[in-house]
Amino acid sequence: MDKPLRNVLKQLTASDTESRRRAMEPFVRATFAPFIRHLHRYLGNEVECEDVLEDVYADIWENPEHLRAIENEQQLLRTVYLYYMRKRLREVYRRLNRSSHLCQNDVQNLVAPELSLCDLIAQSELKQVLHKLLGKLKARERKAIELWMEGMSNRAIATQLGTTVGAVKMLEFRTILKLRHMFKEYCEED
Amino acid sequence: MPSQDNTHREIQELLADYAGALRDGCLPTFLKSLTREEAKRISESEDFHQAAEIVRLMNSVGFGDSVVTPNVGLFISRVDAAIARRLKKAGASTRERSRNAAAAGRTAVTQ
Repeated sequence: MDKPLRNVLKQLTASDTESRRRAMEPFVRATFAPFIRHLHRYLGNEVECEDVLEDVYADIWENPEHLRAIENEQQLLRTVYLYYMRKRLREVYRRLNRSSHLCQNDVQNLVAPELSLCDLIAQSELKQVLHKLLGKLKARERKAIELWMEGMSNRAIATQLGTTVGAVKMLEFRTILKLRHMFKEYCEED
Repeated sequence: MPSQDNTHREIQELLADYAGALRDGCLPTFLKSLTREEAKRISESEDFHQAAEIVRLMNSVGFGDSVVTPNVGLFISRVDAAIARRLKKAGASTRERSRNAAAAGRTAVTQ
């Protein structure tokens, strides 16, 4: 972890609320990008990500106890997710769950899950790993995933691949499970 | 967008709709669109939850950068305002507690 962030974390865990408030600006500047990217994984919505993150930072200011023994950026992100983001993510969907047929546990698994091995890969590394793993797939499987990641609809992907929407959904499902298996192997090797 | 007209979606269709909803930022619409049967199907499918984990990673790699606003300054003001609100709220509740304590003290004295 770089020295400025280490110093900011020290100020942030001070007992004096005003010092902590002053430390928030450099802390937000240093952590905004990784934090909001991480939240985007679960929400996929820019406005909601910012709303949740605003509360997360205010929670950190109010109760920074969990950030006392942080040693690196990865540990910081993991701690912030487990102790601050998850609580806020659960709140976002708690109200909604009254009108959903999914049980509380399943909603939580979708919107604020436990961190898995794959979640521990740093964002910069994640891009490279995914690119590498996509290269190991069959051409058709890779194409379907790449087109999806370019933002194409399943109908458009079906047209590109010369197949039906149903077949594309099945292809994506199987390919994603294959990717999950490959990710797991990568994490275990690492 | 989730295809809400289809109420008997198979697990691969549910995953495709979940992935689409996450990518388009409308996850609540997907959750609301689930029928009791579909919710049960998701609940019982380990494959769905494992695949959803990778969908989230793909979403992060493919679209995560779009949320990083270049103007963090504006966001910092929002955070500061949130902290100010909490400070004010804490101050108000402390004052209220002292008032209540004082009132309780006065009552005890008059009795």
